[in-house]
Amino acid sequence: MFALEGVAKRYGPLEALAPLTLTIAPGERVALMGPSGGGKTTLLNLLAAAFPPDAGRLSIAGRPAEGLRPGRELARLVGIMPQGFDLVPSLAVVHNVLAGRLGEWGFARSLASLVVPRERELARTALARVGIPEKLYERTERLSGGEQQRVALARLLLQRPRAILADEPVSAVDPARAEALLALLVGIVAEEGTTLVASMHGVPLALRHFSRVVALRRGRLVFDRPSAAVTPEEIEALYALEDAGTRGVA
Amino acid sequence: MASGATAPGIRALRSRRRPPLHRRGLLTLLLVSAFGWSLTAVPWGAGLVHANGAAVIGRILGALLRPDLSAGTLRIALAATWRTFAYATAGVSLAIALAVPAGVLASGVLARRPGVRAVSATAFRAGLGGLRAIHELVWAWLFVAAIGLSPWVAVLALALPYAGILGRVLADMLDDVPAAPLRALRAAGAREWQVLLYGRLPMVRANMVGYALYRWECGIRSAAIMSFVGLGGLGYQIQLSLDDLRFREVWTFVGCLVALVVLVDLWSGAVRRRLSA
Ligand SMILES: Nc1ncnc2c1ncn2[C@@H]1O[C@H](COP(=O)(O)OP(=O)(O)OP(=O)(O)O)[C@@H](O)[C@H]1O
Ligand SMILES: [Mg+2]
Repeated sequence: MFALEGVAKRYGPLEALAPLTLTIAPGERVALMGPSGGGKTTLLNLLAAAFPPDAGRLSIAGRPAEGLRPGRELARLVGIMPQGFDLVPSLAVVHNVLAGRLGEWGFARSLASLVVPRERELARTALARVGIPEKLYERTERLSGGEQQRVALARLLLQRPRAILADEPVSAVDPARAEALLALLVGIVAEEGTTLVASMHGVPLALRHFSRVVALRRGRLVFDRPSAAVTPEEIEALYALEDAGTRGVA
Repeated sequence: MASGATAPGIRALRSRRRPPLHRRGLLTLLLVSAFGWSLTAVPWGAGLVHANGAAVIGRILGALLRPDLSAGTLRIALAATWRTFAYATAGVSLAIALAVPAGVLASGVLARRPGVRAVSATAFRAGLGGLRAIHELVWAWLFVAAIGLSPWVAVLALALPYAGILGRVLADMLDDVPAAPLRALRAAGAREWQVLLYGRLPMVRANMVGYALYRWECGIRSAAIMSFVGLGGLGYQIQLSLDDLRFREVWTFVGCLVALVVLVDLWSGAVRRRLSA
């Protein structure tokens, strides 16, 4: 699904991501781990083709990333699971879910749907799958943070991208809900055969739900192996504080 | 929340035209001194004062207690109130119809390329600025000179400057919407006009409707004043009665104007509460 060859990114003098080579197969569930500032968000942004790498080659679904135009084409390949609060607060839930179809809709349909929602059944089914079918016509801002993330997930269900990228998808909810939300996300990508790449701060949570761990520290790859093969010593070394102890671990 | 708070997607580059903090202090000082200087520039002592002003004020205040409630005056008052209300409503409605497309274009949010965006935004912002630079009363004079005394004069004279104001406010609001939901819409495949329909407009809706309602209230006062140029309505009736020194009638009409503004205010307040609830 993703192939990186020496992909690198820097911000001025700071090497946010040192040249990185790795491939992610379709259907894999990859957890990006490592201390703050390690480069997880930078890598996710590169995979989302939000900006081009400074060096190296990145291909998404076998196509060079620089050739992908933002909009429908890209939306069919990668979808983004936001950390929360990235929905339009004043819209009804149904419209925020149906926004996953905007790439496929023309002007008339987009406009008409704001008056009388189109393809309502799709939205209803998606909301039922994420466990909040009764919220269809609720104003989105009245939902709790966790419910809003479910709405975002329902939007992705309509968008049906081939890969979902998630930046700390559960850091905004309490541990019990984080577990449930992650189980839901992982269950859905498993059913749909979607690739999932997510940055994760909770170590046990990540090891339980993801098949592979890619560990980054100060922009460099520390290790990359199946979750089952990751040892506690490696985790400790990954998050160990430096001499000055400047980097906190959440 | 540091860098962790951002979802994938281009980070929020919040474009603010606000000056930096240290320069804002200087700006405040300048404005305050300009205000102080303007007070000294008003020739407070000079001017022509009415010789027996006190007596007239006494008569005006005396009439306040006994407004003219005769059937004839009330009929005139009611017709004038209705006319002022109709002018204001038609004028502000037309202003909204003009302001929405003009405001969208002035915000430049539909243009993808920065060059196109800058040109469109500058041109439409300048146009809107021109419209509101001229007061509705001046527009009314111009239109009376051009088309004569037609109801269209009142409606257009109100619509043009109000379109300038509403369009400008809408453009600013559209520019100032939180970026994260818009980014998420684009990531879901939405094009810029869909981002406008599903992101920007819904996010400014409550504020914009509230502001338009407030402008409607202003429009009623403006329509009353504007009728001084001879267009009929409450202002015109007030002027006629003042000319004849019939202060009791004046108070009837003023009462109608106050009642109208209060009613519109109550109604728009109710709408605003429902929108933000
Ligand atoms: N837009 C930017 N401009 C300058 N530096 C940046 C920018 N974005 C990220 N960085 C820097 O790049 C490095 C990697 O950041 P990144 O956000 O990828 O880390 P992260 O692993 O996601 O951290 P966290 O766990 O805190 O979210 C950091 O040192 C950060 O300060
Ligand atoms: Mg991050």
